[in-house]
Amino acid sequence: MKKHPVIKKIIKRILLFVVVLFVLSLVAFCLARLAPGDPLQSFYGDKLDTMSEVEKQMARERLGLDSDILTQYGRWFVNALGGDFGLSFKYKMPVIDVVSPLIGNSLLLGVTAYIVIFVLATVLAVFCVLHEDKFIDKLICKVGTVLYYTPAFWLGVVLVLIFSINLGWLPSSGAYDVGKANDVGNRMIHMVLPLIVMIASHLWYYGYMIRNKLLDEVRKDYVLLAKSKGCTRREIVWKHCLRNVAPTIVSIMAISIPHVTGGTVVVESVFNYPGIGGLAVESAKYHDYNLLMVVVLITGAAVFAASFIAQTINEEIDPRMKEMGTIKW
Amino acid sequence: MVVQRDKGKPIVSIIILGIIIICCIFAPFITNHDPSQYYLDALNRAPDTEYLFGTDSLGRDLFSIMFFGGRTSIMIGVLGAAIITVIGVIYGCISGISGDKVDSVMMRFVELCGSIPSILMTLILTAIFPAKDVFSMSVIVAITGWFALARIVRSEVRQIRNSEYVLYARSIGGSFLYVMRRHLIPNFLSAIMFVVVSSIGACITAESTLSFLGLGLPLDILSWGSMLSLANKALIMNTWWVILIPGLFLVITLICITNIGNHLRKEVNRKSSNL
Repeated sequence: MKKHPVIKKIIKRILLFVVVLFVLSLVAFCLARLAPGDPLQSFYGDKLDTMSEVEKQMARERLGLDSDILTQYGRWFVNALGGDFGLSFKYKMPVIDVVSPLIGNSLLLGVTAYIVIFVLATVLAVFCVLHEDKFIDKLICKVGTVLYYTPAFWLGVVLVLIFSINLGWLPSSGAYDVGKANDVGNRMIHMVLPLIVMIASHLWYYGYMIRNKLLDEVRKDYVLLAKSKGCTRREIVWKHCLRNVAPTIVSIMAISIPHVTGGTVVVESVFNYPGIGGLAVESAKYHDYNLLMVVVLITGAAVFAASFIAQTINEEIDPRMKEMGTIKW
Repeated sequence: MVVQRDKGKPIVSIIILGIIIICCIFAPFITNHDPSQYYLDALNRAPDTEYLFGTDSLGRDLFSIMFFGGRTSIMIGVLGAAIITVIGVIYGCISGISGDKVDSVMMRFVELCGSIPSILMTLILTAIFPAKDVFSMSVIVAITGWFALARIVRSEVRQIRNSEYVLYARSIGGSFLYVMRRHLIPNFLSAIMFVVVSSIGACITAESTLSFLGLGLPLDILSWGSMLSLANKALIMNTWWVILIPGLFLVITLICITNIGNHLRKEVNRKSSNL
């Protein structure tokens, strides 16, 4: 039986996905273990100073830190297949238990930001194209560029300074108030500032790309035809041009995933938002290898999965991509 | 052509950036306090005539740190951009000049690395370098920054690799390095200048972000990033000058660099709109 080419492609992608994750875990593991900084220090804290050499040796054996890197990796890998990712040195509980309650928070923030960024970017790009080279177009471009080059962490701190501390309108940290984890309104209030920072620091990078693509598009001949048929400018851009650049927008969305994910790391740390990104920074700070590994793997897996899906969708909706066959994974 | 190029020269950006750089170079003559001195009788002092930009929660004079710290930040930016350029150009040239198989593998590797959020790689790297100084910070921020450059260099090299003068240089026995230096680099130099200049800004941003997160330079190495790492404390004390003034300097510098970079970008002349 001949397999459908799409299925074949998907199987190929999944295999590649597994390989990528394996390599990522191996590299992250080796780098993390080669790093200086004593993991015993993060496990025992100040108690370490009072421990004898023998006690330290026993602790190393118990935590599996005594053998060489590849053996350690092998052991970690086998355990990981069974769902056991080891203990977090800092929290002294299984890594999975530390990470799993936070995944939802991060997804909520990341996905909301992602959607708002691209809806806004597209709308702004169309607006700019309709007013090309007028004052408002130039103004949006300037403001967007300035926001994009403003470091996200600083923007976050300034917003907290203005809106939380001096005006007292919005909370400065956390994802919800104590005991209100299921209160949607409360969660939304806490997301306002992180979302603003996420959007401001990514919006115009993508908006500008879409704008430029659309500017090329409105110079094509079919626009003249549509115009002579009596379509309004709005109709031409929204109905014809935007549809033609849709595959490009999807491509940009696929490429943007690592970038936006990286943004959540900074934003979560600035706002003490309980999520994977903030955890990544914390685990790097405290040399909590097991935790760092899992965070890197989860983020890596999410990013790769999303990119692969976006690529597959893109090739399906745009017949031109298939013929060109540019992506040879 | 010449007239058109002159029209958009970012004079204002060049002047502002020039002033900032000159002030940083001649920092000892401008500042009126010792930047590493803790003035314990003047903690959290708002800007006044004695402390022009105020003092932070450790009692350090922000006006002095600004210019001494700017030296470090700009150094890291330039050094990082230099590392990015060297790696990117060499990698791109090798990939562009070699056969399809090697080229494909090298480009896949770049794509793969580019699809991991760079901050995660940077986090792992910060754990590896024990002592943070200007050089190790430049390496950390540069290692994740050269992928885009390598791709551009590679596609430029692909376009010129079969031209007669390259073939000639190779057939008379010119080595790879010779061909790269003599024929390849001069050809794509103008195409990569924009990326090189904007990577200075990217490195400065990355350094300040890492320092703010507590993973970058320690407090005693003065930089704009390590100044801003006190921002969280400043929030509690509500001392706006500790947050706003260094950040504004940072943003103004970044925007000037970007404007200069954009000027170097190849402008595509668009015909008039059909709309």
